[in-house]
Amino acid sequence: MDWECCWDRDVIALGDCPNIHEGDEDLLESPRRRILEKCCDCSNFRRDLERFQSSGHPLGPVFSLIHDEYRRQKIHIQSLLSFLDSKSLEIRFFHELGSVLQSSVDLEEVLSVALTAITAGRGFGMNRAFLLMTDHKRDHLQGYLAIGPRNFEEAHQVWDEISHNDMDLQTLAQNFRKNKLSAERAKFHDILEQISVPLSNTTHILIKALDGKQPILIEDAYHHPDVDPDFARLLGVDTFLLMPLVSRNRRVGMIIADNCITHRRITAEDMHSLETFTFPVAFAIERASLYERLQEELNRVTEAHTKLKEQQELIVRMEKMALVGRITSSIAHSIRNPLMVIGGFARSMLKNTPDGDPKRNFIESIVGEARQLEGVLDEILNYSDSLYPTRDFWDVNQLVETALRESAAALRTRGYGSTFSAGSELPLAYIDFKQVSYCLRTILQCDLNGIGPPRTMDIDTHREADTVIIRIRDHGRYLPQEELDTIMMPFSSTQVMGASLGLALCKTILEKQGIPLNAQSVPEDGIFFTIALPIRKEDQ
Amino acid sequence: MSRLLVVDDEANIRLLYAEELADEGYEVVTAAGTAEAVEKLQEGAFDLAVLDIKLKNESGIDLLQKLVKERHDMPVILCSAFSCYKDDFSAWLADGYVVKSGDLSELKQEIARVLAKKAQRQKAGL
Repeated sequence: MDWECCWDRDVIALGDCPNIHEGDEDLLESPRRRILEKCCDCSNFRRDLERFQSSGHPLGPVFSLIHDEYRRQKIHIQSLLSFLDSKSLEIRFFHELGSVLQSSVDLEEVLSVALTAITAGRGFGMNRAFLLMTDHKRDHLQGYLAIGPRNFEEAHQVWDEISHNDMDLQTLAQNFRKNKLSAERAKFHDILEQISVPLSNTTHILIKALDGKQPILIEDAYHHPDVDPDFARLLGVDTFLLMPLVSRNRRVGMIIADNCITHRRITAEDMHSLETFTFPVAFAIERASLYERLQEELNRVTEAHTKLKEQQELIVRMEKMALVGRITSSIAHSIRNPLMVIGGFARSMLKNTPDGDPKRNFIESIVGEARQLEGVLDEILNYSDSLYPTRDFWDVNQLVETALRESAAALRTRGYGSTFSAGSELPLAYIDFKQVSYCLRTILQCDLNGIGPPRTMDIDTHREADTVIIRIRDHGRYLPQEELDTIMMPFSSTQVMGASLGLALCKTILEKQGIPLNAQSVPEDGIFFTIALPIRKEDQ
Repeated sequence: MSRLLVVDDEANIRLLYAEELADEGYEVVTAAGTAEAVEKLQEGAFDLAVLDIKLKNESGIDLLQKLVKERHDMPVILCSAFSCYKDDFSAWLADGYVVKSGDLSELKQEIARVLAKKAQRQKAGL
């Protein structure tokens, strides 16, 4: 019998078999492999088999039976292999997803990964996903984030882009977070802001799904008995999937996914896969949220600790300064009397020393030095006084006007001009008027080095939160910030006694009342002082 | 010539006051403490007293209260190393308050002012 198929030949050439093409050359000399892999599906072989069957040979029908069964088994094996391949991909995807979700405590990263996984082609391949989260008080379920195209053109563009850049899930999520998160949030803002459902509203389909802890596939949403038509209109689709996110019985949120562009049917298998996926997502979101809250608490504790430390340092400093105050007061008093005697007798002698007497210069020096030392003593004793302030509510503008009036002569002597811009409707400040007034006068009159034109001083008052601010902009003086800081430091070793002790004293007096005095050196513009006076008793 | 009583526990300060105030034309009598001051007051009348507040273990304020009670016609000027007593209510009983200084101009002005006021009062028959 002449056979159409080449199964009976040991060696064939390319073109002898319609099913053997370039690349299959190794089959040309292997009849066994050729029969098993190619002949079974070859029309020539099938015809040979039919001829053999019709030849009346008793084995003819048996061969046909075996051939059909072989083909059926082959198709079955191929479908099993295909199923295995898809499951391998799924496992690989879940592994990838799981490793990201398990390792991240960054809420935005977790959300980016979750939503990307739902919408990515190599993930669940849904067109669009919305994430709703329970609020901090756990009162409401609210729209939080969404991902997906809003129309076909956009979808086409995005999917093209993704197909050109063959990225794994983590890279896709990172890319989304870095480049698209804000834009997507803004894009779906109109929808997200309208989704806010009280968790107590158990008739709402979202809360029903959340309480039921099971995904719900909503079909024909516009006519669905459990779905509010307004909600369906808001989403703009009639079929969507609700996937509750529940972690350890805690209602974390909800994912709504749909195929608003392709309208691909959501299958039971999709639902099953997504349900498996939501468990780690819910857990990761919950963990990331907790971590975020923990960070907030940690920041609060750190901030409180810093404040406490500052307060503690301030207390220690104040205690040291109070001690220094008591000591200096005592010393000052002991020095005052002899100094008075020295200065007093020197003056007496000066009166009785005729002009031209060479001793007169020496005596004048004694008088001058004694006067300067008395000035220093006054400052030190003022500091001691400042340890026990008496506070009340005072008009700050009146305080400034009084200080300016009392400083007018001193400012005139130095050739200074001043302006005052009084803030309107200022609340009363809770201060020791006498002490703050002293400080203000000292700042206005302080005798710093570096005086020069323009000799102007601009003062203004205004309100800032719970304080009334007095700002003094002295355009006539300039000192480097470091030098200014040193001058503001009470009794610092580098300080020239007498010349600027007043500023350090002011800082001490004000700090003791809980009033910060800030002195800032502004290059080529002078020195700016800021005093923040409290308006409430409890702020001190 | 007005008679002044100066009370201060520091001998040199008493000497300074005596010299300087005598130059201004006052008759100056000094005392080192409360007991001595009371003694001098019993010996004769004074037109004005200048008191230090811190007198070793005594208080010039106590002496002031005694003088206001017993010699209400004699004005008193407090002279102290501390400015804080200016705000002390008990110091307000005095007719004047001067912070100690080697420059006695302020004290001299205050003495002149208080004595002039006293003269005015006497003239008015108060």
